[in-house]
Amino acid sequence: MKINFPLVVKTLTGFIREETGKAGFDRAIIGLSGGLDSTVCAYLAVKALGPKRVLALIMPYRNLDKEGVAHARLVAGLLKVRSREIDISPQIDAYFSAFPTDNQVLKGNKMARERMSILYDFSAREKALILGTSNKTELLIGYGTIHGDMACGINPMGDLYKTQVRELGRYLKIPEEILTKKPTAGLWPGQTDEEEIGLPYEELDRILYLLVDRRQKPDEVVKAGFESKKVRRIVEMIKKSEFKRRMPPIAKISSRTVGHDFLYPYDWDK
Amino acid sequence: MLLIIYTIGADFSTPGCSREWTEYPDLCYFQFMKIALAQISPVLGNPERNLKIHLDCVRKAVSKKASLIVFPELSLTGYTLKDLAAEIALNPGKSPVFKKLLEASRAIDLVVGFVEEAADDPGLVYNAAAYLSRGRILHVHRKVFLPTSGMFEEGRFFAAGRQFRPFDTGRVRTGLLICRDFLHYGSSYCHFAGGAGLIITISAAPGRGIDESRGQGFETSHMWELMGESVSFFSSAVMVYCNRVGYEDGAVFAGGSFIYSPFGKLITRLPYLEEDFAVIGVDLSEIARARQSWPFRRDDRPEVIWQSLEKIIRENI
Repeated sequence: MKINFPLVVKTLTGFIREETGKAGFDRAIIGLSGGLDSTVCAYLAVKALGPKRVLALIMPYRNLDKEGVAHARLVAGLLKVRSREIDISPQIDAYFSAFPTDNQVLKGNKMARERMSILYDFSAREKALILGTSNKTELLIGYGTIHGDMACGINPMGDLYKTQVRELGRYLKIPEEILTKKPTAGLWPGQTDEEEIGLPYEELDRILYLLVDRRQKPDEVVKAGFESKKVRRIVEMIKKSEFKRRMPPIAKISSRTVGHDFLYPYDWDK
Repeated sequence: MLLIIYTIGADFSTPGCSREWTEYPDLCYFQFMKIALAQISPVLGNPERNLKIHLDCVRKAVSKKASLIVFPELSLTGYTLKDLAAEIALNPGKSPVFKKLLEASRAIDLVVGFVEEAADDPGLVYNAAAYLSRGRILHVHRKVFLPTSGMFEEGRFFAAGRQFRPFDTGRVRTGLLICRDFLHYGSSYCHFAGGAGLIITISAAPGRGIDESRGQGFETSHMWELMGESVSFFSSAVMVYCNRVGYEDGAVFAGGSFIYSPFGKLITRLPYLEEDFAVIGVDLSEIARARQSWPFRRDDRPEVIWQSLEKIIRENI
């Protein structure tokens, strides 16, 4: 699972640069949470486009993740990118006062979609392409909000596992405190990804790598030394989240149908 | 921009041989060929804009006195065409784009990639390569092996070609291959058996595999180089591989175009992932020397291979 850093950086910065241009934009916009993924993505974006062509939005909800906000400010400052802080508390509170709930996941999803909505608004205002920060681990197990943090113009990070993103972060010399802190989706105070998913990223990524990259069957992964219960749980998570990785199915009733047999490239004429 | 003049082997570094070059300039010119590699990033689905890129490269190649310029697979159209393939397919005999390229071919031979609309079989479109020379189309190769698995879906949109046929360019017998064709080693064997001294593969190969143990490039780049080295050596032929760069729908075209000598020595490799243009000098007299050193060609028995294959095919059916 060890990666060739110079090759990965060259490939991903080229991807950001070329796709931003093809989309008709000259800059990129990124939602900066102060976590590992958005930090690494911001470093790649600055390498690709230069600091003047990267806009970072920091979008806190009350004091839910104070440390994250501090780290996001630190990153924006270190990279010398333009950044804006937009407090999403008023609109989130207004919604949940009309439709109250104690369910933290519902609240987290709503916040993720609010941030998405702001990113798309600023994308249009600033003519900047939204860089997605979902990594391969999250995409595979569906640990993200559909139409929330998973929404973007392009995703440079989606083929790197979380542990590979961390190694890449180390290679890019991102701040040590961001490298070493426990990853969190910021759903509630003190929440960590690994507690919620139920196993550490190191183990999760190794299992995913065998299942996906090495095309091993679950039984083979168990034989390779992983706990059967964990392997089955991961397979279930992959299965249940396919809807997050695809456009919704269209009922095909005509002779030519979008998504079925009306098939054109994304980068058409670019 | 890169200009490399390379003479293969030790022969030309000796003073005796340098004299030979000046004493017999015509012979030397005939044997010494400058090949331009255009490692470009075509615009997806826009042959007119790609024509301009081609003609710019042709001008550069002509100014550096190259006699052949090689472009990547589907260089006139881009790769990830899907339904566009049928819409922008062209008949090289009638196409205005080809008219311009044929005019250019009066100054330099060209190998270009395009989508061919079959004039002889309406409705079929091919992933094709054309060799243009002196205002004429010398040869069109239709890709035989269409990758249709994993990230590839060529079999959905293209018809498959049905033959490998080397042809004479007036300089050297040449065989054309397109991308995956080259990874099926029977394809190169057909050109070898047909006497090709120059095998040209045009490619739109995405880079895959970022394992650090593979060194500089993608794991798949290593795969192409492995085949390039093997085919050039065991065919005693010059092996030219032109791959594209750029990104389409998330696919990363790896570049890394190369030329191997008939002795299996790497003459040049262009950078991975970057657009580039290079003019490389190749000594065609090395083909004969390689075939004298290692008589694979003299000792080849295509009739035995053919009879064996026929039996295998018959028995398997």
